[in-house]
Amino acid sequence: MTTAQPSSQVAPALDPRDRGRTPRPAGRGWVGYLFLSPALLLFVVFIAGPFVAAIVLAFFSWDMLTPAKFNGAGNFTAMFHDPLLYKALANTFIFALASVLTHLVGGLLLALGVNRVMNRALAYFVRTAVFFPFVISWAAVALLWKYVLDPTFGIFPYYMGRVGIHAPDWFTDPHWALPAIIGIDFWHTIGFTFVIMLAGLQTVPKELIEAARADGANPRQILWNVTIPMMSPTIFFATVITFIGAFQIFDPAQIITPDGGPDNATTTIVMYLYQKGFQSFQVGYASAVSLLVFLVMMIVTLLQFLGARKWVHQQ
Amino acid sequence: MELDRTDHPTAVNSSISRRRALQLFGGAAAVVPAISALAACGSGGSGGGSASLSLIYLGDATQQKAFEQLFAAFNKTHPTIKIAARGIAAGDWATFASTVSTQIAGGKVPDIIDVATEGQGLLASKGLLEPLDPYIAKDQQVVDDYFGDADPKFKEMTTKYGSVGGKTYFIPGGYNPVLMYCNTDVFAKAGVDLPASDWTWDEFMQAGMQIKSKTGAFLLPLGYSFPFVDIMPWLLTNGASTLNADWNTSTFDSAAAVESATFVKSLLDSDLSPKPGGAFDAAAQMAKGKLATLGGGRWPTLDMRRLGLVDKVRIVNWPTKTQQGSPIGWDGWPILKASKNKDAAWTFLKWMMSKEASEFYAQIGGTNVPARESVADSPAFLSDAPQGTDLIAKAMSYGTAIPSPNQGALTQAAITKGWQAAITGTMPVADALSQANKTLSTLL
Repeated sequence: MTTAQPSSQVAPALDPRDRGRTPRPAGRGWVGYLFLSPALLLFVVFIAGPFVAAIVLAFFSWDMLTPAKFNGAGNFTAMFHDPLLYKALANTFIFALASVLTHLVGGLLLALGVNRVMNRALAYFVRTAVFFPFVISWAAVALLWKYVLDPTFGIFPYYMGRVGIHAPDWFTDPHWALPAIIGIDFWHTIGFTFVIMLAGLQTVPKELIEAARADGANPRQILWNVTIPMMSPTIFFATVITFIGAFQIFDPAQIITPDGGPDNATTTIVMYLYQKGFQSFQVGYASAVSLLVFLVMMIVTLLQFLGARKWVHQQ
Repeated sequence: MELDRTDHPTAVNSSISRRRALQLFGGAAAVVPAISALAACGSGGSGGGSASLSLIYLGDATQQKAFEQLFAAFNKTHPTIKIAARGIAAGDWATFASTVSTQIAGGKVPDIIDVATEGQGLLASKGLLEPLDPYIAKDQQVVDDYFGDADPKFKEMTTKYGSVGGKTYFIPGGYNPVLMYCNTDVFAKAGVDLPASDWTWDEFMQAGMQIKSKTGAFLLPLGYSFPFVDIMPWLLTNGASTLNADWNTSTFDSAAAVESATFVKSLLDSDLSPKPGGAFDAAAQMAKGKLATLGGGRWPTLDMRRLGLVDKVRIVNWPTKTQQGSPIGWDGWPILKASKNKDAAWTFLKWMMSKEASEFYAQIGGTNVPARESVADSPAFLSDAPQGTDLIAKAMSYGTAIPSPNQGALTQAAITKGWQAAITGTMPVADALSQANKTLSTLL
């Protein structure tokens, strides 16, 4: 026997406009906002708030200790006549480009090498060893390398001397100070790029490689024509992330060469911003510089995304 | 370090690296507290009786121990006034002044700051300090007793450079000159006699050559990052300086200054010093017999005690070229205008001027020379210290106040960059100092 269901239990007719939506219990919309609120609060306090504050402060002259004075576009026009700002920007671009290049090449080569290791225990060990420096604080890394490269007692100059190479004075020679910081940064952060590359490498379909091999492709051809194109989204991600991180380099340069190095060779843009804000107490000017940093990073990232259309393989 | 943060805006990106995350927090830390700064600077009032004083001072772990004992001694005599002290282990006074200023801007306004010469101008010029003249007038006898026991030059120096607009903002504490701590074992092994008190640059260099050839030890760690020790003694012993006596004209490119830097470069070129820019630990190397001398005021005595070197070290004057010379820096104790416990703060400053406090601080390992000559000449200061410790206080007679204009951190940066370029040979000495001098002149 069949009985008619009460009308209250009849499933409502589906409105085509509601397709894909999860029915929401009436009167409980606030729960969603509640879950969102911690992230929203953090975003407002630590990102949106300071960003707006920096925009406002950029139009003021403020030394942190006395009331701010409106300065119009004065801070922005002053930037055009500041040779040290150009020097800091140039140093930062050199650092960022070197960092991107070395990390991509180094990370990819390391990933390719580790991916070939058949012994699982050895593979785990190498992965951990390569990634380990990344978890050490920058302060410790900077001091460690200051000892390692010490021109008088350092291990590195000592062994260079043993093989007949005269080590430069890494942190007092204007030609070597920035390359030294680039090298230290590479040692510290290569593990991060390596892990990204390794993850990307492991997503390359084995069938494609086997098919290429069956077609007679040699390992180099497989790398250039299969592996790298298939990894291009990963490489693109690593490029963007590495550039953004490198452009904000501060810790090692500040700890090892606190005054910006010989002839300002290691003054990066964020260091310069710090010097202006917290040593010269020109907070307005520092804010204007920070907006410039934001603008540069935004433009470079946009260019990277535009360029990606030409070389990133979309699966 | 507290100041390890930046002030820059954010790039909106869904993927945040560790470095990025640090920067975001840094940016927020820089900007958000700033909003509360002006409000904090505007607060005022005063109170007495039971109070809790917040106090900031510069000190590493060793120095912090001595300061903590000093504050505990004050608490014993004044149980109703508690001191919550914070030590900042900045590398130099200019950095300390910048750190403190940033903290004040962030709303962390202390009642009292122990600030040295290099930071006094900055704080006084910003209107952050309470004029102490009314308090001094109220307790004139205490203040007169204090300065009556000090070298007249000390009072003259601290009054000239510590007052702004005719108002007194600091009660000077102790002071420090720069002399040389010599490892007597290294000198003996090399067969070099230490001077009775004075020696010349040439004698110093000859001693270094002999020490290097006989023992392999370095003569002195030369550098550029701490002008008080690394640069000023060489300038002053040749009649030069970074600025003139009024601190309003830069003189860093004078012929005498160039001669000083050239001499230091020659010491470096002769391998009598470890190369600057590394991680050389002078006190530890001296303990190992690998270093013959190091420069400093009273503070290295603490290291000598820690390393058990008191009996193996002798203090002598800095080598001279044309005259005796030493920079003099002193710490000043101001009361912040925003303090709500000004009377209690003054009570503490009065106690610091007492002979009792001065003796106690000297005994427990104070980092400077007591302003009171009676204490500086007493066993409280002279015992458990290297031979020649009495010369430290005597340096006041020929010392020169360390030039400390309001833009302390920037002037220090300009001086260190110029000296670095000069002694490491990245620029001709005269060009390096001339370039630094131009930068200095724009800061004055």
